[in-house]
Amino acid sequence: MSKFSDALAGGKFVVTVEMDPPRGPALGDMDALANSLGSKVDAVVVSDNRGAVARMSPVLAAHHLIKHSQAEVILTLTCRDRNRLALTSEMLAAAAGGVQNLLLVSGDFVTLGDQPGSRPVYDLDSVQALGLASLLAQGRDFSGELAAPAAFFLGASLPVATEPPALAGIKFAKKLKAGAGYFMTQPVSGAADLEALAQLPMAADTKIIAGLELGDDQEAGPLLELAKELKSGGKASGVHLACPANPQRLAELVDKLS
Amino acid sequence: MIVAERKPFEEIAVAASGFRKVLVAGCGTCVAVCLTGGEKEAGILATQLDMAAQLGEREQVFSVGCVERQCDREFLEELGPQIAEADAVISLACGAGIQFLAEAYPDTPVLSGVNTTFIGVNEDVGVWTERCRSCRDCLLTLTGGVCPIALCPKGMLNGPCGGADKGKCETDQERDCAWSVIYRRLENTGRLANLDQLIEARDHRDLLPGRQVHPAYQRRYSAHE
Repeated sequence: MSKFSDALAGGKFVVTVEMDPPRGPALGDMDALANSLGSKVDAVVVSDNRGAVARMSPVLAAHHLIKHSQAEVILTLTCRDRNRLALTSEMLAAAAGGVQNLLLVSGDFVTLGDQPGSRPVYDLDSVQALGLASLLAQGRDFSGELAAPAAFFLGASLPVATEPPALAGIKFAKKLKAGAGYFMTQPVSGAADLEALAQLPMAADTKIIAGLELGDDQEAGPLLELAKELKSGGKASGVHLACPANPQRLAELVDKLS
Repeated sequence: MIVAERKPFEEIAVAASGFRKVLVAGCGTCVAVCLTGGEKEAGILATQLDMAAQLGEREQVFSVGCVERQCDREFLEELGPQIAEADAVISLACGAGIQFLAEAYPDTPVLSGVNTTFIGVNEDVGVWTERCRSCRDCLLTLTGGVCPIALCPKGMLNGPCGGADKGKCETDQERDCAWSVIYRRLENTGRLANLDQLIEARDHRDLLPGRQVHPAYQRRYSAHE
């Protein structure tokens, strides 16, 4: 379906990077990063008001990247800022602009962001949002027929610190059933973080991409070692790299990984 | 029960400052139990307002009244004679009681003396915690008697969000993740299979103002009457 889904299906160890849309109306910085990275990674994940801090619409940013860079794009949509009507319209807009991959997440709660008094939405949870996207692929929404279907390669997040671990499996199974084709974990600090997930029965045949987050003041070495360990040990289907404080450092990580 | 907390004194004093004769009306049920708006608290507030008025050299007179429930017309009638003497009423009932009082005495300004906080329980001496959002479609049978709408900030219906960290909520490391509690409760009672059920998107028409007529009274209140 998408280049990204083909890469996963073909058994490639994928590398994706996180990109925040700008906190302003200019797309220049994102362009520069996308041009230097876009062709080197399997996908650029466009975040959606990450950390509950307002940024440019990720749908527009995704459209822009598709039009002006070589990058394969994964569009993140959170349930935090949109009800089912708005999620539907953003998914349709995404499809119109050529977005083929979605990552549907609940989204950091507003009190973790810079406007803690914002009204959070969560009209749908991430399982229900995946269900909505699966309906769109059939040309329907929760209410009825659409003029045409909108199909995406659907992704979901996976927590790594659920207590008890079996609880993670319950939502994992529901997300698979709702149409998730790949999963991205919350940031992990070691291969051990993925062990509980790996023991869940549904993990064996599932594409799980490990989240790796680099703090601005952290050395890249250990994170690169971990990525290589995950790759050589077959412990993940890929890695998703994020360096929210300084995305310029992603280029260095990607170069050293390839 | 319904839990409320008293508004800051300054806010109440400022709101009441334009009225000469003010009745402080307590409510003897929920807000009395949570030590916010019963007869005793109404008396304390009236005394504080009286002292502040004297210090501010305002000519104000404060009286105290209390009824069993301000959310019940019959009890509100008891306040009639006192309200007839007052220029304004400060109600210490919950938001429902304040509105019903204002509705019963539409010619008298009614001021709010409390902030209604939630439907909750008396967890310990002097501590109340929220338990119910009155969503009109109770899930508690399925979720082991633990409400994911009231206790999960995101109202997640199909399991914990990715922010849950070792059984704690991403919004507060001191608070248990509602879904961890649900899991343990269902495990204890042999009902873990409940969690396999996909819960569909909720019907949010609970945001429309509610009205409920007991089945035995349907005929009396039907539109055709």
